[in-house]
Amino acid sequence: MSMEIINSDQRDALQEIANIGMGQAGASIAQVLGTFVELSVPQIRAVDAAEIPATLAALAGDGVASAVRQAFLGELRGEAIVIFAEHSASDLADLLSYGDALDAPASRELLLDISNVLVGACLGGIAELLRAEIGFSAPSLLADQVATSKLLQADAIAARCALLVEVRFGLEKRVFRCHLVMLMPEDAITALRLALDRFIEEL
Amino acid sequence: MNSSAPSAASVALLQSLVERIDVGIFAVDRAGSVALWNRFMAVHSGKSSANMLGQNLFAMFPELPRPWLEKKLESVFVLGNNAFTLWELRPYLFRFPHNRPLTGGLDAMRQNVTFLPLRTSGGEVTLVCGTIFDYTDTAMAQLGLHDAIAALNQEKDAQRQLIAKLETAQNQLLQSEKMASIGQLAAGIAHEINNPVGFVNSNLQTLKKYCEQMLKLIAAYQPAEARIDDPEILAEITAIKRALDLDFLQEDLPDLIKESEDGLFRIKKIVEDLKDFSHVDEADWQHADLNAGLDSTLNVVWNEVKYKATVDKNYGQLPAVECLAAQLNQVFMNLIVNAVQSLDESRGMGTITLSTGHQDDMVWVEVKDTGQGMSEDVQKRIFEPFFTTKPVGKGTGLGMSVSYNIVQKHHGRIELASVIGEGTRFRIWLPVKQGEPAAQ
Repeated sequence: MSMEIINSDQRDALQEIANIGMGQAGASIAQVLGTFVELSVPQIRAVDAAEIPATLAALAGDGVASAVRQAFLGELRGEAIVIFAEHSASDLADLLSYGDALDAPASRELLLDISNVLVGACLGGIAELLRAEIGFSAPSLLADQVATSKLLQADAIAARCALLVEVRFGLEKRVFRCHLVMLMPEDAITALRLALDRFIEEL
Repeated sequence: MNSSAPSAASVALLQSLVERIDVGIFAVDRAGSVALWNRFMAVHSGKSSANMLGQNLFAMFPELPRPWLEKKLESVFVLGNNAFTLWELRPYLFRFPHNRPLTGGLDAMRQNVTFLPLRTSGGEVTLVCGTIFDYTDTAMAQLGLHDAIAALNQEKDAQRQLIAKLETAQNQLLQSEKMASIGQLAAGIAHEINNPVGFVNSNLQTLKKYCEQMLKLIAAYQPAEARIDDPEILAEITAIKRALDLDFLQEDLPDLIKESEDGLFRIKKIVEDLKDFSHVDEADWQHADLNAGLDSTLNVVWNEVKYKATVDKNYGQLPAVECLAAQLNQVFMNLIVNAVQSLDESRGMGTITLSTGHQDDMVWVEVKDTGQGMSEDVQKRIFEPFFTTKPVGKGTGLGMSVSYNIVQKHHGRIELASVIGEGTRFRIWLPVKQGEPAAQ
């Protein structure tokens, strides 16, 4: 996978920022959820638009999954997608003080709430390190319990290629698993490059 | 924000905006004490800002989902990011009456809520501000759409079922029409004819043998004639022989028997045609000679035709046509029987002309009569199921509709030309070969 979208210095900087950002995010999320959060080292790569659905499917593995999307706007622009394996999200109902009986709307709201927390913490952390002002749209459901290969349709993607930052989440002693994928379209990456250059200069 | 202090005028303006804006705005601190309660909130909740400020939100609204909301507020305090609730998933945060107390609608105002972190100059989030947007009208429109879509889907399902039923019914009709017209004719006639033909044939064979024996005997007597001494007897024999034209009789007798055998063979052939014709189950595509099919069909209905019309045949050279031969025979029969029935008997014998031809990849079969013709109106409706011009009980009104469907199934078409008082011409066009999916 070529990384011509950003040069190697920028890539290293982004990796470092993502690492630090995730560390901070992990702490904040732990504070909100009241439990320790396991986060993977962020994986960064450039992908063609056509490959995005397959990439997401590969991350989620076999079986069914749900996905929530949320836009981030401002100096950095793109969409974050959180992919939940099977029904593992309902495992978090008690952590966000949902009642025992999760009806369909409540379980969907739970997905949105978890996504909002994860996306806000992770992307907020990265943006803060880059000193970029960003805001978030309300999250919305992209797919509800569908085969992982159908999470996202290739023809639904407007961009030609995208920068993808992927983080895996897990919780101690719980089945909950999810992936957070940050996708930035090609034309929004100029702003990211500038922000990264600024970050490198100030080191 | 921290550059220069805003002027008193702009603060007043902002205050007035927050107060007046048609969005519910409230703010709470980390302990849940209300720090802001704008007019929208006061109007809809019935609790004034004076009553609310400094009070615990949950104490004032015990019906709020407290643990969940506290968690939500906590996440905004900790993360410093917005949080949301959507009316589709959680209809409302505060149960407010909706905006249609008279014209009706939903039980309560539908709300989208955004929770915003408010920071002091130090960067710490000290207040969370809730903004409440009224989505009742959107919700009602959407529910209306939902209902409409559900109704449409229901209708679609019903239609699909109906179409399936219709298909079954049509197949049944096709089958029953076959049984009605062919089954009766074929079974009845074949049975009636087979018996007499059987004994006539058997008798004829015996007769043939007897005749041969008799002729043999006569031949044996011939030389004895010369030895007859009695001139009277001899004269009588000679006279009888001359009167009988014995030589011719001896020659003609085998021919007559042969011709009778041929006639019987033809009758058998007709009975066979009848059987072929009524092979109801034979639904295989085959390559058939339509001229032969037309002939065997004509044989089947010949009894209907012969006293009412003369039949002119004008057959062209036809290639073998890929078809369901038994079904096409049914179409030919329908057309021939209809042609006969259209004839005006008071005008004596009519004429039915059967023609066939071949043009490019298509063959055509034409049945023309000199009957009464059809009005425009009848022509328009002729292929409708249950449409008939015959007296009640005489026709089912299915013949032409069944024929139409059979021709459709062959990817062919039926042309119709009719003039009142002059007659009608049906021409069926059929492709020599069926398209890929239909073949085999």
